[in-house]
Amino acid sequence: MNKRLSLLLLVITLIGTFGVGLVHAQDATDLSLWVFVDRHGLFMQNQAERWNAENPDRPINLTYEQIDYTQMHDNLLASLLVGTGAPDLADVEIKKFATFTKGDIHFIPLDVAIDPYRGDIIESRLAPYTADGHNYGIDYHLGSFVMYYNTALLEAAGVDVDSIRTWDDYIEAGQKVTQDTDGDGTPDVYMASIETTDIFSAYALMLMMGGGTYNADGEISLDSPENIAALQFLQDMVHVSGIARAASGGGHHSPDHFVDLSEGKIASLWMPQWYMTRFPDNMSSVLADVAVVRPMPIFEEGGYTTTMGGGTGTAITDQIDPSKVDLASEFLAFAKLTYESNVSLWTDLGFDPMRVDVYDDPALLIEMSDFRGEIPFTYIKAGLGNVAPEYTGPFYPEIATIFQTTALYDLIENQKSPEEVIAAAVAELSAMGADVGG
Amino acid sequence: MLSSILRIVHNKKVVPFVFLAPFMTIFLIFKVYPVILAVIMSFQNFQGVQSQEWVGLTNYQNVFNLVRFGQALTNTTVYTIGTLLILIPLPLILAVLLDSGRVAQSTLFRTLIFLPALTSLVVAGTVFRLILAEEGFLNLFLSSTLGIRPLRWLETADLALPSLILIATWRWTGINILYFNSGLVNIPRELYEAAVIDGASPFQMFWRITLPLLRPTTLFVVVLSIIGGYQVFVEPFILYTGGGGPGDGGLSMALLIYRTAFTSFNFGTAAAMGVILAAIIFVFSLIQFRFFGVFSKED
Repeated sequence: MNKRLSLLLLVITLIGTFGVGLVHAQDATDLSLWVFVDRHGLFMQNQAERWNAENPDRPINLTYEQIDYTQMHDNLLASLLVGTGAPDLADVEIKKFATFTKGDIHFIPLDVAIDPYRGDIIESRLAPYTADGHNYGIDYHLGSFVMYYNTALLEAAGVDVDSIRTWDDYIEAGQKVTQDTDGDGTPDVYMASIETTDIFSAYALMLMMGGGTYNADGEISLDSPENIAALQFLQDMVHVSGIARAASGGGHHSPDHFVDLSEGKIASLWMPQWYMTRFPDNMSSVLADVAVVRPMPIFEEGGYTTTMGGGTGTAITDQIDPSKVDLASEFLAFAKLTYESNVSLWTDLGFDPMRVDVYDDPALLIEMSDFRGEIPFTYIKAGLGNVAPEYTGPFYPEIATIFQTTALYDLIENQKSPEEVIAAAVAELSAMGADVGG
Repeated sequence: MLSSILRIVHNKKVVPFVFLAPFMTIFLIFKVYPVILAVIMSFQNFQGVQSQEWVGLTNYQNVFNLVRFGQALTNTTVYTIGTLLILIPLPLILAVLLDSGRVAQSTLFRTLIFLPALTSLVVAGTVFRLILAEEGFLNLFLSSTLGIRPLRWLETADLALPSLILIATWRWTGINILYFNSGLVNIPRELYEAAVIDGASPFQMFWRITLPLLRPTTLFVVVLSIIGGYQVFVEPFILYTGGGGPGDGGLSMALLIYRTAFTSFNFGTAAAMGVILAAIIFVFSLIQFRFFGVFSKED
């Protein structure tokens, strides 16, 4: 009796162990993801479904959690510091990324997973998420800069939007468009609004002139002649030619700036492609009949035609179960770099894809009612001739903070010279322990 | 066994500690321990939990090397003084008025003035951005009443602190009224009656009875305001979406500590700054206590 009972127990145990093991093998691998934009989480879940359809033998079960921007990054940093509590995958915004690469890097290199796709993508998009020669994150979009015009304001001043090819053309057109309509001595319509509490207006010009915060060798290159020239160009637009003004509220996402745009007080601005979504989302499509997207003006023939701005890279943390690393890396590359996923970047998220071959896909070449019924992607693609890369490094977040707080404010509002502004920034970085060369 | 435990617990000398235990446990874990840890961290190069090394006073040196530290300290001090100048007299006067019985619907007013303390600051931040906008309510009000030209509140460095003080006034007036009110209730009414018989004017009564007898309450509110002022974080964080505002005109010490820790990833220097901030608050509070005669024996 006792023997029988033992045998029975043994059999039950065996069935239990192997049986559960068998069922488990067919079970999907659980992957957790933290995002700060809900749509990013939904996009990744859609990609997981596509993955499961194509890889029925290696299914995954992706769950995501959306946490507020600041809190998500702080929580992630804290979790990585204490070695527990982090998700398998996490979104990290471009300005925050370098913070995570100081000291020990707690992300898994994605080089091998990205390798099969390198020939198909605009590879400089990986630069912001690269440290010590390894790629640690993949973005959701290219974020190429384009010019947004209000054609009604341009036409009223007798300017044909398609006649603007170079920055000289732009300024010349701007002098016609910028007007004091009510005769009180200050213009009521400006050609451009520029940011003084955010980086986009300045960084775009710096990068297109061949400058930037870091160079390809990973050194801080703030005091390069290109950066000085770019900041001078920006300052002159406000104080010499007078065609631009500081955006109301300081940035292009300020509620009162959206009001200015809607009321036809600003004729154009340069922002990354993703700013397109602000026209329906933040301005209720009131500019649908007059807004158009055009390539950035160029500084010189053969120079850079555009650059990239903003972004969010998805990374894999080192707290993932080691047995899941390969699957997670492959899935991440699949979700962000395959042809189908790049079409979805546009159809699901409204972002410009990183793969060049996708730009001729019918899904992208659609007429958009928010932009006068034009096909914006023909113009976006036309601007991708020579994309200026953006390099980042450990002090990229601090540099962004300096630009957002004092540098651009001093340049535009206090009219300090670009040399002075850059020297102050370099001195501040140096006091923080950054190697600023020289 | 159980009875012996109960006997110990019921011991008059032990009982107080048993009742204090839950509070003390939470206090030690969530208040004392982090403070001690922060002091320790301020002497370490803190990069991840595994790699800490003792670096002596380097972090403190780093603090004084930081370009923004002086600006943050000045901003925070000006902000604190600004809040003191408004948030002591204004609530005091309002509390006396509400207590005088000459205000109709005083309970309604009290509730209305207290409401901001219950409002989500995230919502308040958005609302204040709209109020402070160039074509917002504040400029409209100033130009229609005083004929002042529209100011660019959100885009001018020098207007950042006034904006923040405005938000602080909105947020804290109600709470300070509550404090002053509880102080007023404790003043014996006979004193006023006697003063009326002696022919004292309302102002004399305020100056000679109310103010002196409110001294402990005033001290309490002043100390709280100094601590709150020096710790200001949420107001600029919300109004300028995480930054210090135009030209860092609204950069506070707490905001700089946060930036140093979570943007620059330099927890050691951030902890050192926290210790310095604590020392400043401590010194100011001591001066206050002395000034109000807490240590003297006359009271």
